[in-house]
Amino acid sequence: MKPDVPVVLQKLSMALLTEIAPAVGVDYLQRNTGIAAIMLGMAAEEWDRAAARRVEENAALRALFRDAAPEANDAALRRRLEEAARGADSDLRLSALDASNQVLRGLLLELHAHVEELSSPGARRVESAIWTELRRSTERRAFALAPF
Amino acid sequence: MSSLAERFAAYVTHRWPDASEVRVDELTRIHGGASRETYRLRLRCRRGGAEQEHRLILRRDPSGSLIETEREVEFRAYRAFQGSRVPVPAALWLEQEARWLDRPFFVMEEVRGGEASPQALLAPPYAAHLERIGEHKWTILGEIHRADPVAVGLADGAEPAALDTCWRRELDHWERVIDEDELEPQPIARAAIRWLRRHPPRPAQKLAVVHGDYRTGNFLVSPAGEILAVLDWEMTHLGDPIEDLAWSINRTWCWARDGRPGGLLPRERAIAVWEQASGLRADPDDLHWWELFSSVKGIGIWLSGAKEFSTGTNSDPVLGFTGWWLANAQDRAMLETLGKLT
Repeated sequence: MKPDVPVVLQKLSMALLTEIAPAVGVDYLQRNTGIAAIMLGMAAEEWDRAAARRVEENAALRALFRDAAPEANDAALRRRLEEAARGADSDLRLSALDASNQVLRGLLLELHAHVEELSSPGARRVESAIWTELRRSTERRAFALAPF
Repeated sequence: MSSLAERFAAYVTHRWPDASEVRVDELTRIHGGASRETYRLRLRCRRGGAEQEHRLILRRDPSGSLIETEREVEFRAYRAFQGSRVPVPAALWLEQEARWLDRPFFVMEEVRGGEASPQALLAPPYAAHLERIGEHKWTILGEIHRADPVAVGLADGAEPAALDTCWRRELDHWERVIDEDELEPQPIARAAIRWLRRHPPRPAQKLAVVHGDYRTGNFLVSPAGEILAVLDWEMTHLGDPIEDLAWSINRTWCWARDGRPGGLLPRERAIAVWEQASGLRADPDDLHWWELFSSVKGIGIWLSGAKEFSTGTNSDPVLGFTGWWLANAQDRAMLETLGKLT
């Protein structure tokens, strides 16, 4: 599909910022036009990486669960971790990847709370791996426009 | 259906029965202030035989917003600090009945000649005065916290608070907001909440008036660098003054990317100015707790806005924008405060 989606979004963003917004006479609407322009730029940034970051993150979470499952001393949680670790992303639509991601992130949250209550070296290792993944997940979602 | 200007003129006639020839024009919506619809307007009328002109601000409840707030709290806060060292616009009317403008609203005098936009303040003519603005900003915050809530009339009607439990009340509230408004799991915020509950701060030094959203963007600055008015008191409550200090220096406000909150003062200088003005001390451990809390609160606000925008309750673009722009930054801020960013 040409022109590429990010190119289209960037050009629309620039048109809104440099041509349309200045011509809008009402301050409130002019500022909203500016925000719309910035969000189009952010959407362009997200477009190219959207599938990749979701696939990467879902795989990272499944690998983490595979390593962490033996450390869970709750049988039901261990079983769910093992089951999630066997999963895969067969449907690559963003909506499907997002749905999987939400389930996996919810399970990560449960695992995190669980291992915080354990004192074994294995639990500390899992906890450290969770923080590493949370840091990476934040980096995956970061925009160039981030305030700091 | 008559216009908003006409309906507001009818309301003024109701409020001022002695006024005649009431006219409202130049009514325009102001950007920002996403918790309420905010309008600027000119009111002209004849009273006591003389022609009068008033420049006013109308703050009307929205159908949905970033923050669920009580308008009376905000109105009372403006009234409380009128004539004090904390500059505020004069508050005129609080109207709880929806029959006038469909939703409740309040009215205050417009403070003219000031700029609130954080980005505008980083450019001329304001950029030459950033240090002065910063000194004034944290001095005013200290003045807010020096105030006696009873003496300024904010103790009555405020939600009760205690020195040793005000942290829990705030944390409970914002956890509840996240519970209700998250559209996807929030593993970082949830880990932060668990940490906060395991490591509570010491009791507050005093129960103070907490502004609740004290940051650049919520006050008006003159071109000479003077803060003309502190605005947006919709989250005002009684509590630990360190809560406000921590919010004011939150990392997500470092939009100048120089480590300075609002691009104004280095963090340590801001704290020192506040300590001097308030007569209070910012214990590093307590401040650390409240800084992490402030990011949990921030996430709660961005998630609420994102939900309003997503569900169509409120289509103000700023709600979608903050969901994209600030939620991720707030996650980073929490990781940083917890020492997990590197």
